[in-house]
Formats: sequence, C-alpha cells, structure tokens
Amino acid sequence: MPRDAAELLALLDLEKLDDDLFRGTQMPTSRPMVFGGQVAAQSLVAASLTVDTPYVAHSLHSYFLQPGDPSVPTVYDVENLRDGRSFVTRRVIAQQHGRPIYAQTVNFQKDEPGYEHEEPMPDVPGPDHESVRPVSRRVQEELHADQWNVADIRFIGSSASGLEPDPRHPGRQQVWLRVSSALPDDQFWHRAAFTYLSDMTLIGAAMAPHGISFGRGDAFVASLDHAVWFHRPFRADQWWLYDQVSPSASGGRGLTLARVFQDGHLVASVAQEAVLRPRKES
Amino acid sequence: MNPTEELVDLLDLERLDGDLFRGKQPESARARVYGGQVAAQALMAGIRTVPTDFAVHSLHSYFLLGGDYSVPIVYDVERIRDGRSFMTRRVVARQHGRPIYYQTLNFQLPEDGYEHQDAMPEVGAPETGFDLVEVMRKGGNDEADALGKEWGALDVRWLGNTRFGLEPDDGHVSQARMWIRLREGLPDDPAIHVAAFTYASDVSLLGSTLSVHDVNPSKTQMASLDHTLWFHRPFRADDWWLYDQWSPSAQGARGLAFGRIFTADGTLVVTAAQEGLIRPRRAGSEGPGVKE
Repeated sequence: MPRDAAELLALLDLEKLDDDLFRGTQMPTSRPMVFGGQVAAQSLVAASLTVDTPYVAHSLHSYFLQPGDPSVPTVYDVENLRDGRSFVTRRVIAQQHGRPIYAQTVNFQKDEPGYEHEEPMPDVPGPDHESVRPVSRRVQEELHADQWNVADIRFIGSSASGLEPDPRHPGRQQVWLRVSSALPDDQFWHRAAFTYLSDMTLIGAAMAPHGISFGRGDAFVASLDHAVWFHRPFRADQWWLYDQVSPSASGGRGLTLARVFQDGHLVASVAQEAVLRPRKES
Repeated sequence: MNPTEELVDLLDLERLDGDLFRGKQPESARARVYGGQVAAQALMAGIRTVPTDFAVHSLHSYFLLGGDYSVPIVYDVERIRDGRSFMTRRVVARQHGRPIYYQTLNFQLPEDGYEHQDAMPEVGAPETGFDLVEVMRKGGNDEADALGKEWGALDVRWLGNTRFGLEPDDGHVSQARMWIRLREGLPDDPAIHVAAFTYASDVSLLGSTLSVHDVNPSKTQMASLDHTLWFHRPFRADDWWLYDQWSPSAQGARGLAFGRIFTADGTLVVTAAQEGLIRPRRAGSEGPGVKE
C-alpha cells in the first residue's frame, strides 16, 4: 500500500489498454484483500480518463462485489451511459480473474452557478489538540495500517469514548484525515486521493454504540457500497474533518453517513453501508 | 380501481422474457414520467429475479433522460452477483432504445446482528399537517394539480420546512418534514410495500434543498440526478411514516438531500439520499424542466 503521496499517485496512474479499458497496478501489502478505497479511487480515475474537461466528477455510487486479489492487477472497463450537455455519466466495472469485483457509476457536470447553502462545521478540537489521538497501535495492526503512511489519521472521538453523548444519534465518530504529503494542485488528484482515504474509519461510527472496534477483531466488517458527493473544491493533503453518524445498524449491516469539512466549509458528503457481523465464539 | 389499486397495478410488471420486463404507464398530464414510478418499477423488476427469501436492503440509481409517458418502459435486469448471503442486480430502464435510468440493487438473506438507530424527532401528528398538494398550489407550483392527480394514491401531510413551521436547527440549515401513507390498504406482500414506498420516496425530497431559499419551485428547473435508499427494517407503506428531510449542501445548480423514514412508533425503517439539479430559471426561458 502507498506510503506517501508519490506512491499513491503511482497507484492512481492507470495504464490504458484500449479505449475505455484501463489497468491498475497493486502495491505490496500484507492485507489478504485489496483495500476498497484503492478500487474506488482507481475506478474514479478510469471513468475520468474517458471524460473531457470541463466536466468534473460530482458524485459516485458503487457496490463492492468480491474481495480484490492483491496478487494480480485490476482491469477497469468503462461504459459510456450518457454524454449530455450539462451532465456526463460513466459506469466502471473493476474485474479480476474474469469476474467483476466492484461496480461504480460516476456523474460529471460542467460547472454552473446556482443556489448556495451548506451546513455549518461542528465545533471540534483541531488535529494538533492534546485530546486528539493518532491511530492506536492495536488498530494499526488490525488494519495493517503500518502500510497506511499515506494517510494521517487522528481520532477526535466516538460515541463510545471522547464525544459527548447525543441522544439523537447513538452512533457517531469524528476523525481528522489528510494525505500525509503534498499532492499536485489539480483538483482531480485531490478528489481521487480523497476517494482513496474516504473508505477509512467510516464503519467505526456504526461500531461505536456496541462496544466493538476494529482493534479487538470482535466483528466481521466488509464494505457493501460506497457513495461520495463532491460539493466544493478542497485539498486532500490538508486536514479535513470526517464527521460521521451511523443512523442505523440492523440485520448484520451498519450504515454511516458522513460530512467532510475543510476550513469551515462542507466540501463533500459520503455514505457507506457495511456488513457488520458479530464473530461467532469459537 | 381506486388510486392505490392503480399504483399496485403499475407495479405489476409484464414479464417479456427471463429477466426482461415491461411496465405500463398511468394517465398523466405531465411532460415526463415521475421518477418515483421508474424507481419503483425497476425495483420490482429486480425483485422478480431473486429468490423470495432474499430481501432488498439497498438501491443506488441515476436518472439519465426524462421518461416518455406515451410508451411503456422496458426493464432489463442483469445478474451481477449470486452470493450465499448477498445478491446484486442491475436494472436498465429504457424507452425508444435508449437507457433512461440505471438502478443497482442489493439483496440479503435475512440475518441477525447489532441493533441501533437514530432517535425519531418530536413532531406533530399527521392530522396537524397540511395537504402537500395544497401547499404546492399555494406556493405557486404550476404542476401542483397535475401532481396531485398523479399522486392520488399518496396521503401526504406536510409539517413544515426551515422557513415555515419547523423550529430552527443549528446543525441543519435546510429541512422539511411530512407524514406519508398510501390512502388505501396494500396487499400484505412485503415487495409491494417496499415498491410503493420507493414510489413515494421521490415525492418532495429534492424540495428540501430549497427549504432555506425563498424561491418559487416553478421558477426553478428541478430534476432528480440520483436516488438512493437503504432499507433497515420491514414496515407497511399504508401506515403513516414520517419523512424527515434535510439538505446539507447546495452549490453548482445541484442540491443534496437526505431523508430518514420513521414509522409512527419511532422505528427508523429507511434512509434516503438524493442529489438533484436545482437550476434557477432565467427570465424568458421556456417550459418545465427537462432532463437531458
């Protein structure tokens, strides 16, 4: 997995096999399966490579179908669903061993003016505040996060510890995140790198009310879907607040909705449902 | 047939071939097909291709073109995954040989797990709400009468929005709330309840993106871009459910809205998300909004 921005960019630099067909490389990893954020980010890059400027990705919706195999590259097959005047839509199938492992649809828009509003950023301690903790070693080991040096992650807290209880939302988590070294200025790379990081920590908000965490390994966790709506330009290599609420867990699944704030502005919204299954006593 | 029976009839697709279905059209005075109808018919097509012990738990979809009421819609289902616990289907809705809508659905074999949910907000009873179509008419919405006729199966009681009727909320700057139910009873088949709800879920959700803006919806070109639902727990669409809507952001002529659906006893049964085009209509520009 990438250790810095340069390695992340190399991972996102896809090889063009043919029109609308791309190949993404793997990086050495001790994880048994490909990190979901990598597949999501490579898919977004593949879709974007088939779209001309000035169209910019404003949303993506996706489903994870099979665990990715880190020992072989991933092939991204892009289908053109719409070339409209204002909106362009692409669908990407990520495949390995002849089977789809992930399906993503991406919508692009030509910039235009309109109504403006945004929710205010919650009042939270900054990433350097003494109460804000880096990822613990236990969590790092569970997540193989020692290979995650591309991301700076600092936990403000969750409804399990560190955050004031909110009777309206039993499942909450707040995290500061950034890419650990500088990215190029082009907004495209910030959206792609953000997509990579956006798959991290999310399900923690759904685990928080149940006294379980990644570190203890007491639940089986796997992303089912992943959706991102980009609202405003931002830099993925500067701190952003990942403000997460899990409205519901039921039936072996947990849903998390998240708002992404930077410099007081709401720059993106994210939604993810995941399998959240109690591990059987053995 | 009463309007609810007409809706059930709309959801009863004709099977053309294995995974190929056709949905009929209602009578409508509107220019393009109501998005909730396409979403609900696509959902029914997907459901018909999985074993009945699997239940739909989520759908993600994009609207591509305005639908044409004068011809039926064909729904072509692709089997993406047949797993032990999960199944995935992708449905293409098409007319005139072109895709108008794509929906991906995930199904799960029911299992137990961790349980939590957001608390239901304190709101007035359905009887305290205003008829939504009346609210739209008074708000100067040119399509109110046509929509009222088309949505005849739905009983919608609007409780208020950020500018009228709701207490200000520091965290959510643009909100709307309403109670909804099907006017008459539905058959017990859970698929019908999920589909009838999906039909209703496209009503008004995008409107919450304008709650904070003092604009006449008729002066705004509005079109759903995407539509997402996560089904948490089973419920009856013909009993009252609260549609708690909020819009975190609008920019670039787009607005994003989320919705939480609670039954009257406070159970969170669905979460919804929709991004839509909300484009200020310039003076002199023509006609109702058109999806590209």
